[in-house]
Amino acid sequence: MLDRQDSRTDLGIIRIHKNAIASITSIAASEIEGVSFLGESFRFSWWLLLRKKKACSIRVEIDKNQELKITIPLVVKYGFNIPDIASSVQENVRQALENSTNLTLKDIDIVVKGVKKD
Amino acid sequence: MRVFTVVFYTIVLILIGISMVLFSLALTFNFLDIESISKILGYIHSNMNIRIILGGSGLALVLISISFAQVVLGRFQREKTIAFSTASGEVTIALSAIEDLLKHFIFILPEIKELKPDVIAGKKGILVNLRVVLKSEANLPELTARLQEMTRSKIQEVLGVEEEIITRIHIAKIISRDEKDKKRKELEKEETTIPFGGYGRA
Repeated sequence: MLDRQDSRTDLGIIRIHKNAIASITSIAASEIEGVSFLGESFRFSWWLLLRKKKACSIRVEIDKNQELKITIPLVVKYGFNIPDIASSVQENVRQALENSTNLTLKDIDIVVKGVKKD
Repeated sequence: MRVFTVVFYTIVLILIGISMVLFSLALTFNFLDIESISKILGYIHSNMNIRIILGGSGLALVLISISFAQVVLGRFQREKTIAFSTASGEVTIALSAIEDLLKHFIFILPEIKELKPDVIAGKKGILVNLRVVLKSEANLPELTARLQEMTRSKIQEVLGVEEEIITRIHIAKIISRDEKDKKRKELEKEETTIPFGGYGRA
Protein backbone atom coordinates (compact mmCIF):
# COMPACT_ATOMS: atom_id res chain seq x y z
CA MET A 1 0.00 0.00 0.00
CA LEU A 2 1.39 3.38 -1.02
CA ASP A 3 1.88 6.19 1.48
CA ARG A 4 1.36 9.05 -0.88
CA GLN A 5 -0.11 9.96 -4.23
CA ASP A 6 2.44 10.89 -6.90
CA SER A 7 1.91 12.90 -10.07
CA ARG A 8 4.58 14.00 -12.51
CA THR A 9 4.88 17.46 -14.09
CA ASP A 10 7.50 18.90 -16.47
CA LEU A 11 9.43 20.21 -13.48
CA GLY A 12 9.30 17.12 -11.29
CA ILE A 13 7.11 14.95 -9.11
CA ILE A 14 4.30 16.24 -6.89
CA ARG A 15 3.64 14.03 -3.92
CA ILE A 16 0.56 14.34 -1.73
CA HIS A 17 0.85 12.53 1.56
CA LYS A 18 -2.05 10.50 2.98
CA ASN A 19 -2.22 12.87 5.96
CA ALA A 20 -2.88 15.83 3.65
CA ILE A 21 -5.72 13.92 2.01
CA ALA A 22 -7.06 12.97 5.45
CA SER A 23 -6.94 16.62 6.56
CA ILE A 24 -8.87 17.85 3.50
CA THR A 25 -11.39 15.04 4.06
CA SER A 26 -11.75 15.95 7.72
CA ILE A 27 -12.41 19.63 6.97
CA ALA A 28 -14.87 18.86 4.16
CA ALA A 29 -16.79 16.34 6.28
CA SER A 30 -16.99 18.68 9.29
CA GLU A 31 -18.60 21.36 7.12
CA ILE A 32 -21.78 19.32 6.76
CA GLU A 33 -24.56 20.23 9.15
CA GLY A 34 -25.51 17.22 11.20
CA VAL A 35 -21.98 15.90 11.63
CA SER A 36 -21.17 16.07 15.33
CA PHE A 37 -17.52 15.03 15.11
CA LEU A 38 -15.22 12.73 13.18
CA GLY A 39 -13.74 9.62 14.72
CA GLU A 40 -14.74 6.89 17.10
CA SER A 41 -17.72 7.29 19.40
CA PHE A 42 -15.88 5.43 22.16
CA ARG A 43 -13.55 2.54 21.82
CA PHE A 44 -10.79 1.23 23.99
CA SER A 45 -7.46 1.54 22.24
CA TRP A 46 -3.82 1.36 23.23
CA TRP A 47 -3.39 4.59 21.24
CA LEU A 48 -5.73 6.30 23.71
CA LEU A 49 -3.62 5.03 26.59
CA LEU A 50 -0.48 6.31 24.90
CA ARG A 51 -2.32 9.57 24.19
CA LYS A 52 -1.55 9.34 20.49
CA LYS A 53 -4.45 10.26 18.28
CA LYS A 54 -4.43 9.06 14.69
CA ALA A 55 -5.54 11.86 12.30
CA CYS A 56 -9.26 11.71 13.21
CA SER A 57 -9.23 7.96 12.39
CA ILE A 58 -9.82 8.68 8.69
CA ARG A 59 -8.37 5.82 6.67
CA VAL A 60 -6.84 6.68 3.32
CA GLU A 61 -5.87 3.82 1.00
CA ILE A 62 -4.13 4.26 -2.35
CA ASP A 63 -4.05 1.21 -4.59
CA LYS A 64 -1.61 0.31 -7.36
CA ASN A 65 -3.74 2.11 -9.96
CA GLN A 66 -3.30 5.32 -7.92
CA GLU A 67 -6.99 5.27 -6.98
CA LEU A 68 -8.10 6.49 -3.59
CA LYS A 69 -10.37 4.79 -1.11
CA ILE A 70 -11.32 6.82 1.94
CA THR A 71 -13.12 5.55 5.03
CA ILE A 72 -14.61 8.23 7.29
CA PRO A 73 -15.87 7.30 10.76
CA LEU A 74 -18.25 9.90 12.14
CA VAL A 75 -20.77 10.61 14.85
CA VAL A 76 -23.94 12.39 13.75
CA LYS A 77 -26.17 14.81 15.60
CA TYR A 78 -29.50 13.57 16.89
CA GLY A 79 -32.49 14.47 14.71
CA PHE A 80 -30.78 14.39 11.34
CA ASN A 81 -31.37 11.85 8.60
CA ILE A 82 -28.31 9.60 8.52
CA PRO A 83 -28.41 8.61 4.80
CA ASP A 84 -28.79 12.29 3.84
CA ILE A 85 -25.83 13.30 6.00
CA ALA A 86 -23.74 10.41 4.67
CA SER A 87 -24.39 11.28 1.03
CA SER A 88 -23.77 15.01 1.71
CA VAL A 89 -20.43 14.12 3.35
CA GLN A 90 -19.51 11.88 0.42
CA GLU A 91 -20.35 14.59 -2.10
CA ASN A 92 -18.58 17.38 -0.19
CA VAL A 93 -15.45 15.27 0.33
CA ARG A 94 -15.41 14.27 -3.34
CA GLN A 95 -15.71 17.90 -4.43
CA ALA A 96 -13.08 19.13 -1.97
CA LEU A 97 -10.57 16.47 -2.98
CA GLU A 98 -11.17 16.89 -6.69
CA ASN A 99 -10.85 20.69 -6.42
CA SER A 100 -7.71 20.71 -4.35
CA THR A 101 -5.80 17.64 -5.51
CA ASN A 102 -7.16 16.44 -8.90
CA LEU A 103 -7.04 12.90 -7.55
CA THR A 104 -9.10 10.00 -8.85
CA LEU A 105 -11.48 8.82 -6.17
CA LYS A 106 -12.65 5.26 -6.13
CA ASP A 107 -14.75 5.05 -2.96
CA ILE A 108 -15.70 7.26 -0.05
CA ASP A 109 -17.02 4.98 2.66
CA ILE A 110 -18.86 6.39 5.65
CA VAL A 111 -19.06 4.59 8.97
CA VAL A 112 -21.61 6.10 11.35
CA LYS A 113 -20.25 5.26 14.79
CA GLY A 114 -22.81 6.98 16.97
CA VAL A 115 -25.52 9.57 17.48
CA LYS A 116 -25.01 12.52 19.80
CA LYS A 117 -27.37 15.16 21.11
CA ASP A 118 -25.69 18.57 21.20
CA MET B 1 -0.90 -10.74 12.09
CA ARG B 2 -3.68 -11.67 14.50
CA VAL B 3 -3.45 -15.37 13.63
CA PHE B 4 0.33 -15.26 14.01
CA THR B 5 0.04 -13.64 17.46
CA VAL B 6 -2.53 -16.19 18.65
CA VAL B 7 -0.50 -19.17 17.33
CA PHE B 8 2.75 -17.81 18.77
CA TYR B 9 1.25 -17.13 22.16
CA THR B 10 -0.41 -20.55 22.25
CA ILE B 11 2.95 -22.22 21.49
CA VAL B 12 4.66 -20.15 24.22
CA LEU B 13 1.98 -21.12 26.77
CA ILE B 14 2.22 -24.79 25.79
CA LEU B 15 6.03 -24.70 26.15
CA ILE B 16 5.77 -23.05 29.58
CA GLY B 17 3.19 -25.67 30.62
CA ILE B 18 5.30 -28.60 29.37
CA SER B 19 8.43 -27.27 31.09
CA MET B 20 6.53 -26.92 34.40
CA VAL B 21 5.23 -30.50 34.11
CA LEU B 22 8.74 -31.80 33.30
CA PHE B 23 10.22 -29.80 36.19
CA SER B 24 7.69 -31.25 38.64
CA LEU B 25 8.28 -34.82 37.30
CA ALA B 26 12.06 -34.36 37.55
CA LEU B 27 11.71 -33.27 41.19
CA THR B 28 9.34 -36.15 41.96
CA PHE B 29 11.58 -38.87 40.49
CA ASN B 30 14.82 -37.30 41.78
CA PHE B 31 16.22 -36.53 38.33
CA LEU B 32 16.94 -33.03 39.59
CA ASP B 33 18.37 -32.39 43.03
CA ILE B 34 18.60 -29.14 45.00
CA GLU B 35 22.33 -28.82 44.35
CA SER B 36 21.97 -28.82 40.58
CA ILE B 37 19.16 -26.23 40.83
CA SER B 38 21.37 -24.00 42.98
CA LYS B 39 24.21 -24.54 40.48
CA ILE B 40 21.97 -23.36 37.61
CA LEU B 41 20.85 -20.34 39.65
CA GLY B 42 24.43 -19.58 40.57
CA TYR B 43 25.45 -19.76 36.92
CA ILE B 44 22.66 -17.33 35.95
CA HIS B 45 23.72 -15.04 38.82
CA SER B 46 27.33 -14.98 37.72
CA ASN B 47 26.80 -14.67 33.94
CA MET B 48 25.76 -11.23 32.69
CA ASN B 49 24.73 -12.41 29.19
CA ILE B 50 22.31 -15.02 30.53
CA ARG B 51 20.73 -12.43 32.81
CA ILE B 52 20.24 -10.11 29.82
CA ILE B 53 18.71 -12.95 27.76
CA LEU B 54 16.40 -13.84 30.67
CA GLY B 55 15.29 -10.23 31.15
CA GLY B 56 14.80 -9.76 27.39
CA SER B 57 12.69 -12.91 27.16
CA GLY B 58 10.53 -11.68 30.02
CA LEU B 59 10.06 -8.31 28.35
CA ALA B 60 9.19 -9.97 25.04
CA LEU B 61 6.60 -12.13 26.81
CA VAL B 62 5.03 -9.05 28.42
CA LEU B 63 4.80 -7.30 25.02
CA ILE B 64 3.33 -10.39 23.37
CA SER B 65 0.80 -10.64 26.23
CA ILE B 66 -0.29 -7.04 25.63
CA SER B 67 -0.73 -7.63 21.89
CA PHE B 68 -2.59 -10.88 22.61
CA ALA B 69 -4.94 -9.04 24.96
CA GLN B 70 -5.54 -6.44 22.25
CA VAL B 71 -6.35 -9.18 19.72
CA VAL B 72 -8.84 -10.78 22.11
CA LEU B 73 -10.41 -7.44 23.08
CA GLY B 74 -10.58 -6.44 19.42
CA ARG B 75 -12.48 -9.62 18.64
CA PHE B 76 -15.02 -8.83 21.33
CA GLN B 77 -15.27 -5.24 20.20
CA ARG B 78 -15.91 -6.06 16.55
CA GLU B 79 -19.12 -4.17 16.13
CA LYS B 80 -22.11 -5.10 14.05
CA THR B 81 -23.38 -2.74 11.45
CA ILE B 82 -26.06 -2.04 8.87
CA ALA B 83 -24.66 -1.13 5.46
CA PHE B 84 -26.00 0.28 2.23
CA SER B 85 -24.33 1.59 -0.89
CA THR B 86 -24.52 4.97 -2.55
CA ALA B 87 -23.02 6.19 -5.83
CA SER B 88 -19.92 7.47 -4.01
CA GLY B 89 -19.28 4.46 -1.79
CA GLU B 90 -20.59 2.46 1.12
CA VAL B 91 -22.35 3.78 4.22
CA THR B 92 -22.06 1.67 7.36
CA ILE B 93 -24.11 2.43 10.45
CA ALA B 94 -23.04 0.89 13.74
CA LEU B 95 -25.88 -0.70 15.66
CA SER B 96 -24.61 1.17 18.71
CA ALA B 97 -25.42 4.38 16.81
CA ILE B 98 -29.05 3.26 16.53
CA GLU B 99 -28.98 2.45 20.25
CA ASP B 100 -27.74 6.01 20.93
CA LEU B 101 -30.60 7.30 18.82
CA LEU B 102 -33.22 5.36 20.78
CA LYS B 103 -31.78 6.44 24.12
CA HIS B 104 -33.03 9.95 23.36
CA PHE B 105 -36.66 8.79 23.72
CA ILE B 106 -36.15 9.31 27.42
CA PHE B 107 -36.21 13.07 26.78
CA ILE B 108 -39.35 12.84 24.64
CA LEU B 109 -41.46 10.54 26.81
CA PRO B 110 -41.62 11.83 30.40
CA GLU B 111 -43.15 8.54 31.63
CA ILE B 112 -39.85 6.73 31.01
CA LYS B 113 -37.29 6.83 33.79
CA GLU B 114 -34.61 4.61 32.23
CA LEU B 115 -34.22 3.08 28.78
CA LYS B 116 -31.65 0.50 27.64
CA PRO B 117 -31.92 -0.39 23.95
CA ASP B 118 -30.32 -3.41 22.28
CA VAL B 119 -30.44 -3.54 18.49
CA ILE B 120 -29.88 -6.76 16.53
CA ALA B 121 -29.77 -6.88 12.73
CA GLY B 122 -30.89 -10.22 11.36
CA LYS B 123 -32.05 -11.73 8.08
CA LYS B 124 -35.70 -10.99 8.90
CA GLY B 125 -35.05 -7.36 9.71
CA ILE B 126 -34.04 -5.19 12.64
CA LEU B 127 -34.89 -6.46 16.09
CA VAL B 128 -35.02 -3.83 18.84
CA ASN B 129 -35.13 -4.88 22.47
CA LEU B 130 -36.02 -2.07 24.84
CA ARG B 131 -35.58 -2.49 28.57
CA VAL B 132 -37.45 0.27 30.32
CA VAL B 133 -38.04 1.54 33.83
CA LEU B 134 -41.31 3.46 34.06
CA LYS B 135 -42.86 5.98 36.37
CA SER B 136 -46.08 4.89 38.08
CA GLU B 137 -48.40 7.29 36.30
CA ALA B 138 -47.74 5.62 32.92
CA ASN B 139 -50.54 3.86 31.05
CA LEU B 140 -48.76 0.70 29.98
CA PRO B 141 -50.70 -0.47 26.87
CA GLU B 142 -50.85 3.04 25.49
CA LEU B 143 -47.23 3.88 26.31
CA THR B 144 -45.75 0.64 24.97
CA ALA B 145 -47.74 0.94 21.73
CA ARG B 146 -46.54 4.54 21.36
CA LEU B 147 -42.95 3.51 22.11
CA GLN B 148 -43.06 0.72 19.52
CA GLU B 149 -44.50 3.04 16.91
CA MET B 150 -41.95 5.76 17.71
CA THR B 151 -39.09 3.25 17.50
CA ARG B 152 -40.25 1.95 14.13
CA SER B 153 -40.87 5.38 12.62
CA LYS B 154 -37.66 6.89 14.02
CA ILE B 155 -35.45 4.10 12.66
CA GLN B 156 -37.16 4.21 9.27
CA GLU B 157 -37.01 8.01 9.17
CA VAL B 158 -33.42 8.43 10.29
CA LEU B 159 -31.86 5.43 8.57
CA GLY B 160 -34.04 5.43 5.50
CA VAL B 161 -34.35 1.64 5.64
CA GLU B 162 -37.52 -0.15 4.64
CA GLU B 163 -36.75 -3.40 6.42
CA GLU B 164 -39.14 -4.82 8.99
CA ILE B 165 -38.51 -3.45 12.48
CA ILE B 166 -39.61 -5.63 15.38
CA THR B 167 -39.68 -3.89 18.74
CA ARG B 168 -39.76 -5.90 21.95
CA ILE B 169 -40.34 -4.00 25.16
CA HIS B 170 -39.39 -5.35 28.54
CA ILE B 171 -40.61 -3.34 31.50
CA ALA B 172 -38.01 -4.02 34.14
CA LYS B 173 -39.41 -1.84 36.89
CA ILE B 174 -42.22 0.55 37.67
CA ILE B 175 -41.28 3.17 40.19
CA SER B 176 -44.20 3.93 42.46
CA ARG B 177 -45.05 7.33 43.88
CA ASP B 178 -44.30 6.09 47.44
CA GLU B 179 -40.82 5.03 46.37
CA LYS B 180 -40.25 8.45 44.85
CA ASP B 181 -41.50 10.21 48.00
CA LYS B 182 -39.25 8.02 50.16
CA LYS B 183 -36.24 8.92 48.08
CA ARG B 184 -37.14 12.60 48.22
CA LYS B 185 -37.49 12.43 52.02
CA GLU B 186 -34.17 10.63 52.32
CA LEU B 187 -32.52 13.31 50.24
CA GLU B 188 -34.10 16.04 52.37
CA LYS B 189 -32.82 14.32 55.52
CA GLU B 190 -29.33 14.06 54.09
CA GLU B 191 -29.25 17.77 53.35
CA THR B 192 -27.82 19.30 56.51
CA THR B 193 -29.29 22.57 57.71
CA ILE B 194 -26.79 25.39 57.86
CA PRO B 195 -27.03 27.39 61.10
CA PHE B 196 -28.09 30.99 60.49
CA GLY B 197 -28.47 30.04 56.80
CA GLY B 198 -31.51 32.26 56.41
CA TYR B 199 -29.67 35.43 57.32
CA GLY B 200 -28.25 37.34 54.43
CA ARG B 201 -26.28 40.51 54.19
CA ALA B 202 -28.35 43.51 53.43
